[in-house]
Amino acid sequence: MRLNAEIDGEKVALEVTREGGRVSAEVGGRRYELEARGVGAGEYLLIRGGRVYECRVGAEPGAEGRGALRVSVGAREYGVRLTDPKHLRGAGAGAGEQGGRAQIKAPMPGKVVRVLVEAGQAVESGQGLVVVEAMKMQNELKSPKSGHVSELRAEAGATVNAGDVLVVVE
Amino acid sequence: MFKKILIANRGEIAVRVLRACRELDISPVAVYSEADAAALHVRLADEAHLLGPAPSAESYLRIDRVVEAALKSGAEAVHPGYGFLAENAAFARAVNEAGLVFIGPSPEAMELMGSKTSARRAAEGAGAPVVPGTNDPLDSLEEARETAARVGYPVMLKATAGGGGKGMRLVADESELPSAFDTARSEAASAFGDPSVYIEKAVERPRHVEIQVFADTHGNTVHLGERECSIQRRHQKVIEECPSPINDANLREAMGAAAVRIARAASYVGAGTVEFLVSDVTRDFYFLEMNTRLQVEHPVTELVTGFDLVREQIRVAAGLPLSFTQEEVAWAGHAVECRVYAEDPEQNFMPSPGLITSLRLPTGPGVRDDGGVYEGAEVSIYYDPMISKLATWGRTRLEAIERMRRALDEYAVGGIKTTLPFFREVMRDAEFVAGRLDTGFISSFNERRAAAASKDAPPSDEETARRDIAAIAAALRYSEPARDGSQPTPAAPPSRWKLSGREALHRSRI
Repeated sequence: MRLNAEIDGEKVALEVTREGGRVSAEVGGRRYELEARGVGAGEYLLIRGGRVYECRVGAEPGAEGRGALRVSVGAREYGVRLTDPKHLRGAGAGAGEQGGRAQIKAPMPGKVVRVLVEAGQAVESGQGLVVVEAMKMQNELKSPKSGHVSELRAEAGATVNAGDVLVVVE
Repeated sequence: MFKKILIANRGEIAVRVLRACRELDISPVAVYSEADAAALHVRLADEAHLLGPAPSAESYLRIDRVVEAALKSGAEAVHPGYGFLAENAAFARAVNEAGLVFIGPSPEAMELMGSKTSARRAAEGAGAPVVPGTNDPLDSLEEARETAARVGYPVMLKATAGGGGKGMRLVADESELPSAFDTARSEAASAFGDPSVYIEKAVERPRHVEIQVFADTHGNTVHLGERECSIQRRHQKVIEECPSPINDANLREAMGAAAVRIARAASYVGAGTVEFLVSDVTRDFYFLEMNTRLQVEHPVTELVTGFDLVREQIRVAAGLPLSFTQEEVAWAGHAVECRVYAEDPEQNFMPSPGLITSLRLPTGPGVRDDGGVYEGAEVSIYYDPMISKLATWGRTRLEAIERMRRALDEYAVGGIKTTLPFFREVMRDAEFVAGRLDTGFISSFNERRAAAASKDAPPSDEETARRDIAAIAAALRYSEPARDGSQPTPAAPPSRWKLSGREALHRSRI
């Protein structure tokens, strides 16, 4: 299987072949011959020339898509994003700024306690837009850019999920 | 001794109290919200009573429902844990009026020490030094402005009824005051039902050192030495140790004596903690506040002194004298505790609630884990995201740190982000290892970390291999059918036919 991987922001090409307990792989041009033992769902014991790598793979918390994974190798953790070049899966751009348009999203599930701006209002970079409370902490979400509030979807008292767009600044 | 105790709390502290009950052959009664119906503290209890819906204001903060559950269960005493109703004098009073024993100080002592302003007055009366600032809640922004100007910036805004960093804001200059004042008041109102805040001068490069005190109903008041809690984020402790790396017997004696005087002045009974700010330069100490409850970080004191503070709380509440005298308190070795939170340390410690898909806890020599979750448990958005407290003991501070590094490396949590990677780095940080701590530690640690990353040293072969293997493991997982419920497929166990088919697939190129 050929995949593109992005590990902690760095891109590499990946080719992995598994035959029972043997894994052959090429990562960014480096070859690996590994012994693989499945030890539980999402857990792999990979051994390379006698050296033990205990790996745990799960979905990246808060991220979307099957290719967004969090991997620990021993006590080291990595954020890995896999894309299948055949499907161009997950090729869409992430959140945040797109062509002068900034979406301010709820970083976690919680409650909107205060809305500090009105629709159409001019805002400056760093200005507080909404206050979201989760786990008893209030977090002020600030505008990443100067512009005006083109969309205001947050409402005081409303419960929001992680990733919900609260404000759009253009 | 009591036969049955109701534990008015959840999470790891409910489990901690429950364990002490078991050891004393007391039947533990749990209470829970709808979100906690299958929580660990419920699973381990003899009885469990539903309080109400998930939000704490409708469950764990409902005095009437907790007292009703206690009466219904036939419990003789109520242990409040920490947080929730633990420092609520009205709750202690309601428990007493229902004919039950509140495991903690009197409501009067809680009221005196629970309001930071009256606590300051009491400390001054007992001859303990205090930080310059107001003694009274501020009524308006104008008043806040005047007070701040008088004591001089930087200042700290603090909730009068507060604790745990909620409703607390550092204000560097006047321009920050209006928004900080509003946020602190609103946070205080939502956390404690009281928006009052006051102002204190911010002591620069302070260390947070606290003294554990204990008093019984027979007139004995003792101290069990200090805990260093300087490593904080959002004014909330994340790493604590006993003794402080300052480890100065004279300072311990002076602070201990001051803490005992303050406890006596409040006619205090039970376990309490007197918090001080210690200047790292002059070693002067200032009274900060008194927590009229068991502290989150009590295990480090237990590991070093050998006393079981919860057992002692229960004994004292039952009217027994303390099981030890001041002369019998001795400090052996060193203990370190890390509060493992479901938070993303890379995103400014943003909470990371969710399902714990896998969990491996460290064990072995000198390791203690006080947890409140299990594999398959949900870290809810409704409560504090702490999942466990990991503590290690060693004969020396370095041995305790070495054990902590090893234990943190063994600790594995899947499904949510945790502060474990952060602790692994801090335990290897030269400043931490040298014991050079103050409450600004995390920001200076982050600066050191950013500086090290910008040096752009090429990764070692081993680092490269490890990273590549992470990508390989990810690909192995990616090529397998989802089994963790993240896909909308039925969770029926795979048949033998399917399993053998899967093996055949794995023999082919994936």
